[in-house]
Amino acid sequence: MSFIRNGKKTLILLAFVFPALLFYSVFVLAPSIGGVWYSLTDWNGLNPTYEMVGFSNYIEALSEDRFFLDSIGFTLKYVVFMVILSNFFAILLAVLIESRKRSKVWFRTIFFMPNMISLIIGGFMWMFIFTKVLPYIAEHTVFKFLDQSWIGDPRLSFFALLILSLWSGVGYLMVIYIAALQGVPQQLKEAAAIDGASALQTFRNVTLPMIYPALTIGLFVTLNNSFKVFEAVFALTGGGPGRATQVIALNIFEEAFSQSNRYGYASAKAMILFLIVFIITIVQLWIMKRREVEA
Amino acid sequence: MRNSSGNAGGVRLSRRAGSGLVLLFLLLGAVVMLFPIYMGILNSVKTQSEMLTNILSFPAKVQFNNFSSAFEKIHFFRSLGNTIQIAAVGLIGIIVCASLAGYKLSRTKGKLSSALFGLFILSMLIPFHSIMITLVKISNELSIQGSIYGLGMIYIGLGVSMAIFLYHGFVKSIPRDLDEAAIIDGCGELRLFYAVIFPLLLPVTATIAILNLLWMWNDFLLPLLMLTNSDSYTLLLSTNMLFGEYSNDWSNILASLILAMLPVVIFYLILQKYILNGIAEGAIKG
Repeated sequence: MSFIRNGKKTLILLAFVFPALLFYSVFVLAPSIGGVWYSLTDWNGLNPTYEMVGFSNYIEALSEDRFFLDSIGFTLKYVVFMVILSNFFAILLAVLIESRKRSKVWFRTIFFMPNMISLIIGGFMWMFIFTKVLPYIAEHTVFKFLDQSWIGDPRLSFFALLILSLWSGVGYLMVIYIAALQGVPQQLKEAAAIDGASALQTFRNVTLPMIYPALTIGLFVTLNNSFKVFEAVFALTGGGPGRATQVIALNIFEEAFSQSNRYGYASAKAMILFLIVFIITIVQLWIMKRREVEA
Repeated sequence: MRNSSGNAGGVRLSRRAGSGLVLLFLLLGAVVMLFPIYMGILNSVKTQSEMLTNILSFPAKVQFNNFSSAFEKIHFFRSLGNTIQIAAVGLIGIIVCASLAGYKLSRTKGKLSSALFGLFILSMLIPFHSIMITLVKISNELSIQGSIYGLGMIYIGLGVSMAIFLYHGFVKSIPRDLDEAAIIDGCGELRLFYAVIFPLLLPVTATIAILNLLWMWNDFLLPLLMLTNSDSYTLLLSTNMLFGEYSNDWSNILASLILAMLPVVIFYLILQKYILNGIAEGAIKG
């Protein structure tokens, strides 16, 4: 009897889950498994037949492919800068905006707005700023140092990319930090102020420890997103000059869809990106679990 | 006495100076944030020649020729319609599939249920760029490559995981007694879901709708891979194509950029309270 009831329960469960599972299997699970499979082959996308080549795609990507290795290096550099800068600015903005009374809403609206706009559109707009507006300002005002090849010079295009990414992304983190700051009890801050703590001391010893959970989230959100950066680079520099600003995702994209059509090889690179993001996420979950136990 | 009141005055003064500095800093930041948008709008109403000679000043004469030409070149209404249809298919699909699954997975205990839930959550670990190559092949084999409805369906597959996660958490806050009372009253499983449970899920449904809408609206790479025919281009793809074709005609490009971002900016300004709440909630729980 209970077996039948359980069977019915299972059937109902499966019926409710089926639509979601169908779409999920076809468009996420199947491509994931397929990606692992093809990464072990020499499939080129056009030819219907292909052969298993073992791990040689992985070995080639990680030892011979200078462009891919450079793209990993460049992405790492981008990630380090983004994780530090975007969280720094986001916390700063959140704290300062929360300290305002009437203007709070206005500032929040403005700083978050770029996050609403696609990075493709934002990237083109900043390209206009970098290639037309800044040179114009340099020519007609005292700010002569602005006359640079912001997109064309590999050293500067890195900073152009950072500016675009910060402009777009900082508002998102700011919203997370503002939500966390609003959870800090007002009495705690008042008590610290009565005890004679300065604003900076109150922030460091009262507010900051209270927003640690949000900080963990903010750090990993930026880590994850920065490793997967694509659109900002695509719109602003296209990976150039040369391949100076090519990131991992763009390298995979070009390998698969615009250069060699080596799908199998590109799949191996895609799996390497997956492993990087996977490891970061596992570390994140582990840290969060540990903190939950402590709390 | 006098001393301490003097101190208090000093503190108040430095507080006020500090507050002034904060305001100054925030205003400066706001200017940087709005600068590209402002420059874009300003120069989109100038002629190309005026833009090149006078990029910073107000236009001598405001003209909208760039807009009418960009409007045609990016096929604004067609692109907008495509974007709306894709997002609608994706959104309705995600909400229907994920609310059904999230509710039942949350209510059912047991190995199968937690295994299925784990399977869905697994995908949050997978970067899109890692599956895009095989996804293109699969959609090619299913002959949905190029179709905007096919693209909408792919969004369902990519989006259900996070939505199931959020529904799963929210359902825990709805008392089980409700389900049992409805069942005793002779209510079937499906009717229980759509008549009793689904209305109670409204807050989390709103969050999910906002997050997914913004994601699909602003997504670029997947439509780029899937939509092969320019008739089915989204706003972003049309803008990108215009940029590729007329990369030096900035006044036209700027007008098209303003047009392309207009819908989402209006959406933001109207619903910003809900959007900001949704973003914070989605980030903290997801």
